[in-house]
Amino acid sequence: MNALKRYWWLILLAAIAVYPIIGKPSPYRSGLLIFAGIYIILAVGLDLLMGYTGQISVGHAAFFAVGAYTSGILTAKYGFSPAAAMGVGVVFSATLAFLTGRPVLALKEYYLAMATLAFNEIVVTLIIGFEGLTGGASGLRDIPPFTIFGFSLLNHLHYYYFVWIVVVLVIASSIAVVRSPFGRALIAIHSDEQAARSFGVDCAKYKTRAYMLAAVYASIAGSLFAHYMGFIAPDDFGILTSINLLVMLFLGGIGTIFGPALGALFLKLLPEVTYQFQDYELLINGVILIVVLVFFPRGLFGILTALKNKIVPRTGK
Amino acid sequence: MMEKNGHILTVSSVTKTFDGVRALDDVSFSVRSGDIKALIGPNGAGKTTLLNAVSGLNPPTTGTVLFEGRDVVGLRTDQIASLGMSRTFQLIRLFTINNATVLDNVLLGAHMYLKPTLLGTVFLRRKIKGQEREATSKAMDLLKLVGLEKEAHALPGSLSFGNQRLLELARALMTDPKMLLLDEPASGLNDAEVEDFTRLLMTIKQQGVTILIVEHNMKLVMNIADDIIVLDFGKKLAEGSPSAICANPDVIAAYLGVQSKECGVRE
Repeated sequence: MNALKRYWWLILLAAIAVYPIIGKPSPYRSGLLIFAGIYIILAVGLDLLMGYTGQISVGHAAFFAVGAYTSGILTAKYGFSPAAAMGVGVVFSATLAFLTGRPVLALKEYYLAMATLAFNEIVVTLIIGFEGLTGGASGLRDIPPFTIFGFSLLNHLHYYYFVWIVVVLVIASSIAVVRSPFGRALIAIHSDEQAARSFGVDCAKYKTRAYMLAAVYASIAGSLFAHYMGFIAPDDFGILTSINLLVMLFLGGIGTIFGPALGALFLKLLPEVTYQFQDYELLINGVILIVVLVFFPRGLFGILTALKNKIVPRTGK
Repeated sequence: MMEKNGHILTVSSVTKTFDGVRALDDVSFSVRSGDIKALIGPNGAGKTTLLNAVSGLNPPTTGTVLFEGRDVVGLRTDQIASLGMSRTFQLIRLFTINNATVLDNVLLGAHMYLKPTLLGTVFLRRKIKGQEREATSKAMDLLKLVGLEKEAHALPGSLSFGNQRLLELARALMTDPKMLLLDEPASGLNDAEVEDFTRLLMTIKQQGVTILIVEHNMKLVMNIADDIIVLDFGKKLAEGSPSAICANPDVIAAYLGVQSKECGVRE
Protein backbone atom coordinates (compact mmCIF):
# COMPACT_ATOMS: atom_id res chain seq x y z
CA MET A 1 0.00 0.00 0.00
CA ASN A 2 2.67 2.51 1.06
CA ALA A 3 5.05 1.07 -1.49
CA LEU A 4 2.48 1.73 -4.20
CA LYS A 5 2.06 5.26 -2.90
CA ARG A 6 5.79 5.85 -3.04
CA TYR A 7 6.88 4.00 -6.15
CA TRP A 8 3.93 4.50 -8.52
CA TRP A 9 6.17 6.45 -10.87
CA LEU A 10 8.53 3.51 -11.33
CA ILE A 11 5.64 1.31 -12.39
CA LEU A 12 4.34 4.01 -14.70
CA LEU A 13 7.80 4.61 -16.22
CA ALA A 14 8.25 0.88 -16.75
CA ALA A 15 4.87 0.62 -18.45
CA ILE A 16 5.69 3.60 -20.66
CA ALA A 17 9.07 2.13 -21.61
CA VAL A 18 7.83 -1.38 -22.25
CA TYR A 19 4.64 -0.62 -24.15
CA PRO A 20 6.22 0.22 -27.55
CA ILE A 21 8.40 -2.92 -27.35
CA ILE A 22 5.49 -5.24 -26.64
CA GLY A 23 2.72 -3.37 -28.43
CA LYS A 24 4.74 -2.30 -31.49
CA PRO A 25 2.27 0.54 -31.99
CA SER A 26 1.53 2.06 -35.36
CA PRO A 27 2.07 5.84 -35.66
CA TYR A 28 -1.67 6.15 -35.23
CA ARG A 29 -1.65 4.21 -31.94
CA SER A 30 1.26 6.10 -30.46
CA GLY A 31 -0.40 9.29 -31.65
CA LEU A 32 -3.44 8.41 -29.56
CA LEU A 33 -1.22 7.93 -26.53
CA ILE A 34 0.52 11.24 -27.20
CA PHE A 35 -2.85 12.98 -27.20
CA ALA A 36 -3.84 11.12 -24.06
CA GLY A 37 -0.60 12.25 -22.38
CA ILE A 38 -1.21 15.87 -23.36
CA TYR A 39 -4.71 15.73 -21.92
CA ILE A 40 -3.43 14.11 -18.73
CA ILE A 41 -1.15 17.11 -18.21
CA LEU A 42 -4.13 19.44 -18.69
CA ALA A 43 -6.46 17.44 -16.44
CA VAL A 44 -3.94 17.05 -13.59
CA GLY A 45 -3.33 20.81 -13.57
CA LEU A 46 -7.04 21.55 -13.52
CA ASP A 47 -7.44 19.05 -10.67
CA LEU A 48 -5.03 21.11 -8.54
CA LEU A 49 -7.24 24.13 -9.10
CA MET A 50 -10.65 22.44 -8.87
CA GLY A 51 -10.22 19.22 -6.92
CA TYR A 52 -7.86 20.64 -4.31
CA THR A 53 -8.35 24.40 -4.18
CA GLY A 54 -12.06 24.16 -4.96
CA GLN A 55 -12.05 26.85 -7.66
CA ILE A 56 -13.99 25.93 -10.78
CA SER A 57 -12.64 26.83 -14.20
CA VAL A 58 -14.74 26.34 -17.31
CA GLY A 59 -12.06 27.99 -19.41
CA HIS A 60 -8.90 26.05 -18.79
CA ALA A 61 -8.34 25.54 -22.54
CA ALA A 62 -7.40 29.25 -22.67
CA PHE A 63 -3.96 28.46 -21.23
CA PHE A 64 -3.70 25.42 -23.51
CA ALA A 65 -4.17 27.91 -26.37
CA VAL A 66 -1.63 30.38 -24.98
CA GLY A 67 1.01 27.64 -24.82
CA ALA A 68 0.22 26.26 -28.25
CA TYR A 69 0.13 29.63 -30.01
CA THR A 70 3.23 30.98 -28.25
CA SER A 71 5.15 27.89 -29.33
CA GLY A 72 3.60 27.87 -32.82
CA ILE A 73 4.18 31.55 -33.57
CA LEU A 74 7.69 31.78 -32.12
CA THR A 75 8.96 28.66 -33.91
CA ALA A 76 7.12 28.97 -37.24
CA LYS A 77 7.53 32.74 -37.69
CA TYR A 78 10.49 33.85 -35.58
CA GLY A 79 12.81 30.86 -35.72
CA PHE A 80 12.87 30.16 -31.97
CA SER A 81 13.95 26.70 -30.87
CA PRO A 82 10.90 24.71 -29.64
CA ALA A 83 12.32 24.36 -26.11
CA ALA A 84 12.90 28.12 -25.84
CA ALA A 85 9.43 28.83 -27.23
CA MET A 86 7.92 26.45 -24.68
CA GLY A 87 9.78 28.34 -21.94
CA VAL A 88 8.45 31.67 -23.20
CA GLY A 89 4.94 30.16 -23.25
CA VAL A 90 5.30 29.01 -19.64
CA VAL A 91 6.43 32.47 -18.49
CA PHE A 92 3.68 34.14 -20.51
CA SER A 93 0.96 31.83 -19.16
CA ALA A 94 2.15 32.18 -15.58
CA THR A 95 2.16 35.97 -15.94
CA LEU A 96 -1.30 35.98 -17.48
CA ALA A 97 -2.59 33.75 -14.68
CA PHE A 98 -0.91 35.98 -12.10
CA LEU A 99 -2.52 39.12 -13.52
CA THR A 100 -6.01 37.68 -14.03
CA GLY A 101 -5.99 35.35 -11.01
CA ARG A 102 -6.76 37.82 -8.23
CA PRO A 103 -9.78 39.53 -9.79
CA VAL A 104 -11.20 36.35 -11.33
CA LEU A 105 -10.71 34.12 -8.28
CA ALA A 106 -12.26 36.72 -6.00
CA LEU A 107 -15.51 35.48 -7.57
CA LYS A 108 -17.24 32.36 -6.35
CA GLU A 109 -19.23 29.47 -7.77
CA TYR A 110 -21.45 30.37 -10.75
CA TYR A 111 -19.84 33.77 -11.13
CA LEU A 112 -16.40 32.22 -11.21
CA ALA A 113 -17.62 29.68 -13.77
CA MET A 114 -18.98 32.48 -15.96
CA ALA A 115 -15.79 34.55 -15.65
CA THR A 116 -13.53 31.65 -16.63
CA LEU A 117 -15.86 30.77 -19.49
CA ALA A 118 -15.63 34.37 -20.70
CA PHE A 119 -11.84 34.28 -20.34
CA ASN A 120 -11.71 31.24 -22.65
CA GLU A 121 -13.93 33.02 -25.19
CA ILE A 122 -11.81 36.19 -25.05
CA VAL A 123 -8.59 34.28 -25.69
CA VAL A 124 -10.12 32.42 -28.65
CA THR A 125 -11.59 35.65 -30.04
CA LEU A 126 -8.21 37.38 -29.77
CA ILE A 127 -6.54 34.49 -31.60
CA ILE A 128 -9.08 34.75 -34.42
CA GLY A 129 -8.76 38.55 -34.44
CA PHE A 130 -4.96 38.83 -34.66
CA GLU A 131 -4.97 37.05 -37.98
CA GLY A 132 -1.60 38.32 -39.14
CA LEU A 133 0.12 36.75 -36.15
CA THR A 134 -2.00 33.68 -35.48
CA GLY A 135 -3.41 32.75 -38.87
CA GLY A 136 -6.88 33.58 -37.58
CA ALA A 137 -9.76 31.17 -37.99
CA SER A 138 -7.99 29.19 -40.69
CA GLY A 139 -5.20 28.21 -38.33
CA LEU A 140 -1.44 28.42 -37.97
CA ARG A 141 0.67 26.13 -40.18
CA ASP A 142 4.26 24.95 -40.58
CA ILE A 143 5.02 24.48 -36.91
CA PRO A 144 8.24 22.42 -36.80
CA PRO A 145 8.57 19.22 -34.76
CA PHE A 146 10.08 19.39 -31.28
CA THR A 147 13.87 19.30 -30.99
CA ILE A 148 16.04 18.74 -27.93
CA PHE A 149 19.73 19.68 -28.22
CA GLY A 150 19.38 19.62 -31.98
CA PHE A 151 17.85 16.15 -31.93
CA SER A 152 14.52 16.18 -33.74
CA LEU A 153 11.63 14.23 -32.22
CA LEU A 154 10.00 13.68 -35.58
CA ASN A 155 9.74 9.95 -34.95
CA HIS A 156 6.40 9.22 -33.31
CA LEU A 157 7.94 6.87 -30.74
CA HIS A 158 10.54 9.41 -29.68
CA TYR A 159 7.82 11.99 -29.19
CA TYR A 160 5.70 9.46 -27.31
CA TYR A 161 8.56 8.93 -24.84
CA PHE A 162 9.15 12.67 -24.51
CA VAL A 163 5.50 13.50 -23.82
CA TRP A 164 5.11 10.72 -21.27
CA ILE A 165 8.24 11.71 -19.37
CA VAL A 166 6.67 15.16 -19.06
CA VAL A 167 3.46 13.44 -17.88
CA VAL A 168 5.38 11.63 -15.11
CA LEU A 169 7.09 14.88 -14.07
CA VAL A 170 3.77 16.73 -13.97
CA ILE A 171 2.08 14.02 -11.89
CA ALA A 172 5.08 13.76 -9.56
CA SER A 173 5.27 17.50 -8.96
CA SER A 174 1.50 17.65 -8.42
CA ILE A 175 1.68 14.86 -5.85
CA ALA A 176 4.55 16.69 -4.16
CA VAL A 177 2.44 19.84 -4.04
CA VAL A 178 -0.71 18.28 -2.61
CA ARG A 179 1.13 16.23 0.01
CA SER A 180 2.86 19.31 1.42
CA PRO A 181 2.01 22.25 3.67
CA PHE A 182 1.25 24.17 0.49
CA GLY A 183 -1.31 21.57 -0.58
CA ARG A 184 -2.80 21.58 2.90
CA ALA A 185 -3.41 25.30 2.57
CA LEU A 186 -5.21 24.66 -0.73
CA ILE A 187 -7.42 22.02 0.88
CA ALA A 188 -8.17 24.39 3.75
CA ILE A 189 -9.30 27.04 1.26
CA HIS A 190 -11.51 24.44 -0.42
CA SER A 191 -13.05 23.40 2.92
CA ASP A 192 -13.69 26.77 4.49
CA GLU A 193 -12.10 30.00 3.29
CA GLN A 194 -12.87 32.00 6.41
CA ALA A 195 -11.45 29.35 8.69
CA ALA A 196 -8.37 29.08 6.46
CA ARG A 197 -7.88 32.86 6.79
CA SER A 198 -8.12 32.56 10.55
CA PHE A 199 -5.07 30.33 10.42
CA GLY A 200 -3.00 32.77 8.44
CA VAL A 201 -3.72 31.52 4.92
CA ASP A 202 -3.70 34.42 2.45
CA CYS A 203 -6.48 32.89 0.35
CA ALA A 204 -6.21 35.22 -2.66
CA LYS A 205 -2.48 34.52 -2.92
CA TYR A 206 -2.74 30.75 -2.63
CA LYS A 207 -5.67 30.52 -5.04
CA THR A 208 -3.64 32.53 -7.55
CA ARG A 209 -0.62 30.25 -7.06
CA ALA A 210 -2.72 27.16 -7.77
CA TYR A 211 -4.16 28.92 -10.83
CA MET A 212 -0.65 29.76 -12.04
CA LEU A 213 0.55 26.18 -11.65
CA ALA A 214 -2.47 24.86 -13.54
CA ALA A 215 -1.82 27.47 -16.25
CA VAL A 216 1.84 26.47 -16.54
CA TYR A 217 0.92 22.80 -17.00
CA ALA A 218 -1.71 23.74 -19.60
CA SER A 219 0.81 25.87 -21.41
CA ILE A 220 3.33 23.01 -21.56
CA ALA A 221 0.56 20.75 -22.86
CA GLY A 222 -0.23 23.37 -25.51
CA SER A 223 3.38 23.52 -26.69
CA LEU A 224 3.57 19.72 -26.88
CA PHE A 225 0.32 19.72 -28.85
CA ALA A 226 1.43 22.38 -31.33
CA HIS A 227 4.69 20.64 -32.19
CA TYR A 228 3.02 17.28 -32.60
CA MET A 229 0.23 18.58 -34.84
CA GLY A 230 2.31 21.02 -36.88
CA PHE A 231 -0.95 22.87 -37.45
CA ILE A 232 -3.25 24.45 -34.88
CA ALA A 233 -6.61 26.20 -35.17
CA PRO A 234 -8.81 28.07 -32.66
CA ASP A 235 -11.32 25.18 -32.64
CA ASP A 236 -8.86 23.04 -30.68
CA PHE A 237 -8.97 25.45 -27.73
CA GLY A 238 -12.63 26.40 -27.39
CA ILE A 239 -15.05 25.96 -24.52
CA LEU A 240 -15.81 22.45 -25.73
CA THR A 241 -12.22 21.47 -24.89
CA SER A 242 -12.57 23.04 -21.46
CA ILE A 243 -15.77 21.12 -20.84
CA ASN A 244 -14.14 17.89 -21.99
CA LEU A 245 -11.50 18.49 -19.34
CA LEU A 246 -14.20 18.82 -16.70
CA VAL A 247 -15.69 15.52 -17.85
CA MET A 248 -12.25 13.88 -17.51
CA LEU A 249 -11.98 15.21 -13.94
CA PHE A 250 -15.33 13.92 -12.80
CA LEU A 251 -15.09 10.68 -14.74
CA GLY A 252 -11.70 9.85 -13.26
CA GLY A 253 -12.42 11.07 -9.72
CA ILE A 254 -11.81 14.72 -8.88
CA GLY A 255 -9.32 15.70 -6.19
CA THR A 256 -7.07 12.65 -6.48
CA ILE A 257 -4.49 13.62 -9.19
CA PHE A 258 -4.41 10.01 -10.46
CA GLY A 259 -8.17 10.05 -11.06
CA PRO A 260 -8.22 12.90 -13.59
CA ALA A 261 -5.16 11.35 -15.27
CA LEU A 262 -7.11 8.12 -15.57
CA GLY A 263 -10.15 10.01 -16.80
CA ALA A 264 -8.12 11.70 -19.53
CA LEU A 265 -6.56 8.41 -20.62
CA PHE A 266 -9.94 6.68 -20.63
CA LEU A 267 -11.76 9.39 -22.56
CA LYS A 268 -9.00 9.66 -25.16
CA LEU A 269 -8.73 5.88 -25.70
CA LEU A 270 -12.45 5.10 -25.45
CA PRO A 271 -13.16 5.96 -29.12
CA GLU A 272 -10.68 3.19 -30.02
CA VAL A 273 -13.04 0.65 -28.52
CA THR A 274 -16.33 2.18 -29.49
CA TYR A 275 -15.51 3.13 -33.09
CA GLN A 276 -16.51 -0.38 -34.16
CA PHE A 277 -20.07 0.49 -33.32
CA GLN A 278 -19.83 3.28 -35.88
CA ASP A 279 -23.06 5.22 -35.78
CA TYR A 280 -23.63 4.39 -32.15
CA GLU A 281 -20.20 5.54 -31.03
CA LEU A 282 -21.32 8.84 -29.45
CA LEU A 283 -24.33 7.17 -27.88
CA ILE A 284 -22.19 4.49 -26.25
CA ASN A 285 -19.66 7.04 -25.01
CA GLY A 286 -22.49 9.01 -23.47
CA VAL A 287 -23.99 5.98 -21.78
CA ILE A 288 -20.63 5.00 -20.25
CA LEU A 289 -20.21 8.51 -18.90
CA ILE A 290 -23.66 8.59 -17.36
CA VAL A 291 -23.27 5.16 -15.80
CA VAL A 292 -19.93 6.04 -14.22
CA LEU A 293 -21.07 9.42 -12.95
CA VAL A 294 -24.38 8.17 -11.55
CA PHE A 295 -23.24 4.91 -9.99
CA PHE A 296 -19.63 5.73 -9.15
CA PRO A 297 -19.55 9.34 -8.00
CA ARG A 298 -15.93 8.97 -6.96
CA GLY A 299 -15.05 8.09 -10.52
CA LEU A 300 -12.78 5.48 -12.05
CA PHE A 301 -10.09 6.03 -9.45
CA GLY A 302 -12.69 5.50 -6.74
CA ILE A 303 -13.63 2.16 -8.33
CA LEU A 304 -9.98 1.12 -8.46
CA THR A 305 -9.25 2.06 -4.84
CA ALA A 306 -12.40 0.23 -3.71
CA LEU A 307 -11.26 -2.87 -5.62
CA LYS A 308 -7.76 -2.63 -4.21
CA ASN A 309 -9.09 -2.30 -0.67
CA LYS A 310 -11.14 -5.42 -1.25
CA ILE A 311 -8.17 -7.45 -2.46
CA VAL A 312 -5.68 -6.00 0.02
CA PRO A 313 -7.73 -5.11 3.12
CA ARG A 314 -6.59 -1.94 4.84
CA THR A 315 -4.79 -2.75 8.04
CA GLY A 316 -4.68 -0.16 10.80
CA LYS A 317 -4.23 3.29 9.39
CA MET B 1 6.35 45.94 21.08
CA MET B 2 5.80 46.42 24.84
CA GLU B 3 2.08 46.65 25.49
CA LYS B 4 0.74 49.47 27.59
CA ASN B 5 0.07 48.47 31.23
CA GLY B 6 0.65 44.82 30.35
CA HIS B 7 -2.46 44.79 28.15
CA ILE B 8 -2.09 42.49 25.17
CA LEU B 9 -5.45 43.53 23.71
CA THR B 10 -7.16 46.92 23.98
CA VAL B 11 -10.53 47.40 22.33
CA SER B 12 -11.65 51.05 22.19
CA SER B 13 -15.11 52.35 21.25
CA VAL B 14 -15.83 49.51 18.86
CA THR B 15 -19.13 49.82 17.04
CA LYS B 16 -20.46 47.39 14.46
CA THR B 17 -23.61 48.07 12.49
CA PHE B 18 -25.37 45.67 10.15
CA ASP B 19 -27.85 47.53 7.93
CA GLY B 20 -28.49 50.10 10.63
CA VAL B 21 -28.70 47.57 13.46
CA ARG B 22 -26.09 48.25 16.11
CA ALA B 23 -24.73 44.82 16.95
CA LEU B 24 -21.93 46.42 18.95
CA ASP B 25 -22.33 49.84 20.47
CA ASP B 26 -19.25 51.69 21.68
CA VAL B 27 -17.62 48.71 23.40
CA SER B 28 -14.29 49.25 25.17
CA PHE B 29 -12.28 46.84 27.27
CA SER B 30 -8.81 45.42 27.55
CA VAL B 31 -7.22 42.08 28.33
CA ARG B 32 -4.14 41.78 30.51
CA SER B 33 -1.31 39.66 29.19
CA GLY B 34 -1.50 36.12 30.56
CA ASP B 35 -5.07 36.44 31.85
CA ILE B 36 -8.16 34.45 31.04
CA LYS B 37 -10.90 36.94 30.31
CA ALA B 38 -14.46 35.73 29.91
CA LEU B 39 -17.02 37.41 27.69
CA ILE B 40 -20.57 36.60 28.80
CA GLY B 41 -24.06 37.80 28.04
CA PRO B 42 -27.44 36.68 26.72
CA ASN B 43 -27.85 35.23 23.22
CA GLY B 44 -27.68 37.94 20.60
CA ALA B 45 -25.71 40.26 22.86
CA GLY B 46 -22.95 40.55 20.27
CA LYS B 47 -20.31 38.25 21.76
CA THR B 48 -19.41 36.42 18.54
CA THR B 49 -19.64 39.71 16.64
CA LEU B 50 -17.06 41.12 19.05
CA LEU B 51 -14.72 38.14 18.53
CA ASN B 52 -15.09 38.53 14.76
CA ALA B 53 -14.36 42.24 15.03
CA VAL B 54 -11.19 41.51 16.98
CA SER B 55 -9.99 38.71 14.69
CA GLY B 56 -10.79 40.66 11.53
CA LEU B 57 -13.30 38.17 10.19
CA ASN B 58 -15.89 40.94 10.32
CA PRO B 59 -14.10 44.23 11.01
CA PRO B 60 -15.71 46.90 13.21
CA THR B 61 -17.52 49.83 11.61
CA THR B 62 -15.70 52.29 13.88
CA GLY B 63 -13.29 52.01 16.79
CA THR B 64 -9.82 50.60 17.29
CA VAL B 65 -8.45 47.22 18.28
CA LEU B 66 -4.88 47.31 19.57
CA PHE B 67 -3.09 43.96 19.67
CA GLU B 68 0.29 44.31 21.38
CA GLY B 69 0.03 48.03 20.83
CA ARG B 70 -0.66 47.77 17.12
CA ASP B 71 -3.97 48.80 15.56
CA VAL B 72 -5.20 45.74 13.68
CA VAL B 73 -8.43 47.22 12.28
CA GLY B 74 -8.10 47.17 8.51
CA LEU B 75 -5.66 44.26 8.47
CA ARG B 76 -6.85 41.05 6.78
CA THR B 77 -7.84 38.12 8.97
CA ASP B 78 -4.78 36.14 7.89
CA GLN B 79 -2.49 39.06 8.77
CA ILE B 80 -4.05 39.42 12.22
CA ALA B 81 -3.77 35.66 12.75
CA SER B 82 -0.09 35.82 11.80
CA LEU B 83 0.52 38.40 14.53
CA GLY B 84 -0.23 35.65 17.05
CA MET B 85 -3.99 35.60 17.51
CA SER B 86 -5.71 32.29 16.97
CA ARG B 87 -9.26 31.11 17.55
CA THR B 88 -11.89 28.40 17.63
CA PHE B 89 -15.40 28.69 16.27
CA GLN B 90 -18.83 28.50 17.85
CA LEU B 91 -20.01 26.25 15.03
CA ILE B 92 -17.15 23.84 14.52
CA ARG B 93 -15.21 24.58 11.34
CA LEU B 94 -12.76 21.80 10.60
CA PHE B 95 -11.16 21.03 7.24
CA THR B 96 -12.79 17.94 5.79
CA ILE B 97 -12.27 18.03 2.00
CA ASN B 98 -10.00 15.50 0.23
CA ASN B 99 -10.03 13.15 3.23
CA ALA B 100 -8.09 15.63 5.39
CA THR B 101 -7.34 13.83 8.65
CA VAL B 102 -7.33 14.98 12.26
CA LEU B 103 -3.55 15.35 11.99
CA ASP B 104 -3.87 17.38 8.76
CA ASN B 105 -6.17 19.79 10.57
CA VAL B 106 -3.66 20.37 13.33
CA LEU B 107 -0.81 20.66 10.81
CA LEU B 108 -2.60 23.49 9.03
CA GLY B 109 -2.01 25.47 12.22
CA ALA B 110 1.69 25.52 11.25
CA HIS B 111 0.88 27.46 8.08
CA MET B 112 1.67 30.89 9.42
CA TYR B 113 5.27 30.12 10.32
CA LEU B 114 6.01 27.57 7.58
CA LYS B 115 4.68 29.99 4.94
CA PRO B 116 4.97 27.40 2.16
CA THR B 117 5.83 28.72 -1.29
CA LEU B 118 4.98 27.01 -4.57
CA LEU B 119 8.54 27.00 -5.92
CA GLY B 120 9.93 25.79 -2.59
CA THR B 121 7.38 22.99 -2.52
CA VAL B 122 8.37 21.75 -5.99
CA PHE B 123 12.12 22.31 -5.87
CA LEU B 124 13.19 22.14 -2.20
CA ARG B 125 11.76 18.72 -1.37
CA ARG B 126 14.31 17.92 1.32
CA LYS B 127 13.72 21.14 3.25
CA ILE B 128 9.94 20.69 3.06
CA LYS B 129 10.17 17.10 4.29
CA GLY B 130 12.31 18.18 7.25
CA GLN B 131 9.80 20.90 8.16
CA GLU B 132 6.96 18.42 7.82
CA ARG B 133 8.62 15.94 10.18
CA GLU B 134 9.16 18.63 12.81
CA ALA B 135 5.63 19.97 12.45
CA THR B 136 4.17 16.46 12.65
CA SER B 137 5.93 15.68 15.91
CA LYS B 138 4.73 18.97 17.39
CA ALA B 139 1.18 18.28 16.15
CA MET B 140 1.25 14.83 17.74
CA ASP B 141 2.33 16.39 21.05
CA LEU B 142 -0.64 18.75 20.89
CA LEU B 143 -3.00 15.90 20.03
CA LYS B 144 -1.64 14.09 23.07
CA LEU B 145 -2.25 17.20 25.17
CA VAL B 146 -5.94 17.24 24.21
CA GLY B 147 -6.15 13.42 24.32
CA LEU B 148 -6.67 12.75 20.63
CA GLU B 149 -3.36 11.13 19.70
CA LYS B 150 -5.07 7.84 18.88
CA GLU B 151 -7.38 9.59 16.42
CA ALA B 152 -4.58 11.31 14.48
CA HIS B 153 -5.30 9.45 11.25
CA ALA B 154 -9.09 9.42 11.59
CA LEU B 155 -11.36 11.75 9.67
CA PRO B 156 -12.60 14.71 11.75
CA GLY B 157 -16.19 13.77 10.95
CA SER B 158 -15.81 10.51 12.84
CA LEU B 159 -14.99 12.29 16.10
CA SER B 160 -17.56 13.03 18.78
CA PHE B 161 -18.73 16.61 19.09
CA GLY B 162 -16.62 17.19 22.18
CA ASN B 163 -13.54 15.77 20.49
CA GLN B 164 -14.08 17.99 17.46
CA ARG B 165 -13.97 20.97 19.82
CA LEU B 166 -10.71 19.66 21.30
CA LEU B 167 -9.33 19.23 17.80
CA GLU B 168 -10.16 22.88 17.05
CA LEU B 169 -8.26 23.83 20.19
CA ALA B 170 -5.22 21.74 19.17
CA ARG B 171 -5.28 23.36 15.73
CA ALA B 172 -5.36 26.81 17.31
CA LEU B 173 -2.46 25.93 19.65
CA MET B 174 -0.40 24.70 16.69
CA THR B 175 -0.05 28.32 15.58
CA ASP B 176 1.97 29.16 18.73
CA PRO B 177 -0.56 31.85 19.61
CA LYS B 178 0.07 34.71 21.99
CA MET B 179 -3.66 35.00 22.40
CA LEU B 180 -6.55 32.58 21.92
CA LEU B 181 -10.12 33.57 21.15
CA LEU B 182 -12.46 30.74 22.13
CA ASP B 183 -16.09 30.95 21.03
CA GLU B 184 -18.26 28.82 23.34
CA PRO B 185 -15.71 25.99 23.47
CA ALA B 186 -17.64 24.07 26.14
CA SER B 187 -21.08 24.12 24.56
CA GLY B 188 -22.29 20.58 23.97
CA LEU B 189 -19.76 19.08 26.38
CA ASN B 190 -20.96 16.91 29.27
CA ASP B 191 -19.95 17.63 32.87
CA ALA B 192 -16.94 15.32 32.88
CA GLU B 193 -15.74 16.79 29.58
CA VAL B 194 -16.14 20.32 30.96
CA GLU B 195 -13.93 19.40 33.91
CA ASP B 196 -11.22 18.03 31.61
CA PHE B 197 -11.57 21.10 29.48
CA THR B 198 -11.16 23.40 32.50
CA ARG B 199 -7.89 21.68 33.40
CA LEU B 200 -6.73 21.96 29.79
CA LEU B 201 -7.38 25.71 29.73
CA MET B 202 -5.43 26.17 32.95
CA THR B 203 -2.50 24.26 31.40
CA ILE B 204 -2.61 26.50 28.36
CA LYS B 205 -2.73 29.58 30.57
CA GLN B 206 0.31 28.37 32.49
CA GLN B 207 2.21 28.30 29.21
CA GLY B 208 1.68 32.04 28.99
CA VAL B 209 -1.13 32.17 26.43
CA THR B 210 -3.72 34.89 26.99
CA ILE B 211 -7.30 33.70 26.52
CA LEU B 212 -10.48 35.58 25.67
CA ILE B 213 -13.35 33.12 26.04
CA VAL B 214 -17.03 33.46 25.18
CA GLU B 215 -18.92 30.97 27.32
CA HIS B 216 -22.38 30.31 28.74
CA ASN B 217 -21.30 27.67 31.23
CA MET B 218 -21.02 29.85 34.32
CA LYS B 219 -19.41 27.17 36.41
CA LEU B 220 -16.56 26.98 33.89
CA VAL B 221 -16.33 30.77 33.70
CA MET B 222 -16.23 31.21 37.47
CA ASN B 223 -13.56 28.56 37.79
CA ILE B 224 -11.13 29.94 35.25
CA ALA B 225 -11.74 33.64 34.59
CA ASP B 226 -9.47 36.29 36.04
CA ASP B 227 -11.73 38.96 34.73
CA ILE B 228 -15.18 39.12 33.11
CA ILE B 229 -16.90 41.47 30.69
CA VAL B 230 -20.68 41.33 30.26
CA LEU B 231 -22.37 42.37 27.00
CA ASP B 232 -26.08 43.06 26.61
CA PHE B 233 -27.74 44.37 23.43
CA GLY B 234 -24.33 45.18 22.00
CA LYS B 235 -23.32 47.36 24.93
CA LYS B 236 -20.92 46.74 27.74
CA LEU B 237 -23.04 46.11 30.82
CA ALA B 238 -20.29 45.45 33.33
CA GLU B 239 -16.63 44.55 33.64
CA GLY B 240 -14.70 43.29 36.61
CA SER B 241 -13.60 40.39 38.77
CA PRO B 242 -15.83 37.27 38.93
CA SER B 243 -17.03 38.10 42.42
CA ALA B 244 -17.88 41.68 41.46
CA ILE B 245 -19.80 40.48 38.39
CA CYS B 246 -21.74 37.98 40.50
CA ALA B 247 -22.81 40.70 42.89
CA ASN B 248 -23.73 43.19 40.17
CA PRO B 249 -27.54 43.66 40.19
CA ASP B 250 -27.62 44.72 36.50
CA VAL B 251 -25.85 41.52 35.46
CA ILE B 252 -28.15 39.37 37.57
CA ALA B 253 -31.20 41.05 36.07
CA ALA B 254 -30.01 40.88 32.47
CA TYR B 255 -28.24 37.56 32.34
CA LEU B 256 -27.34 35.53 35.39
CA GLY B 257 -30.88 35.35 36.81
CA VAL B 258 -31.62 31.71 37.53
CA GLN B 259 -27.97 30.80 37.00
CA SER B 260 -26.83 32.97 39.87
CA LYS B 261 -26.38 29.96 42.15
CA GLU B 262 -23.46 28.93 39.92
CA CYS B 263 -21.74 32.10 41.01
CA GLY B 264 -19.10 31.76 43.63
CA VAL B 265 -18.44 28.11 42.84
CA ARG B 266 -14.67 28.05 43.03
CA GLU B 267 -12.91 24.76 43.25
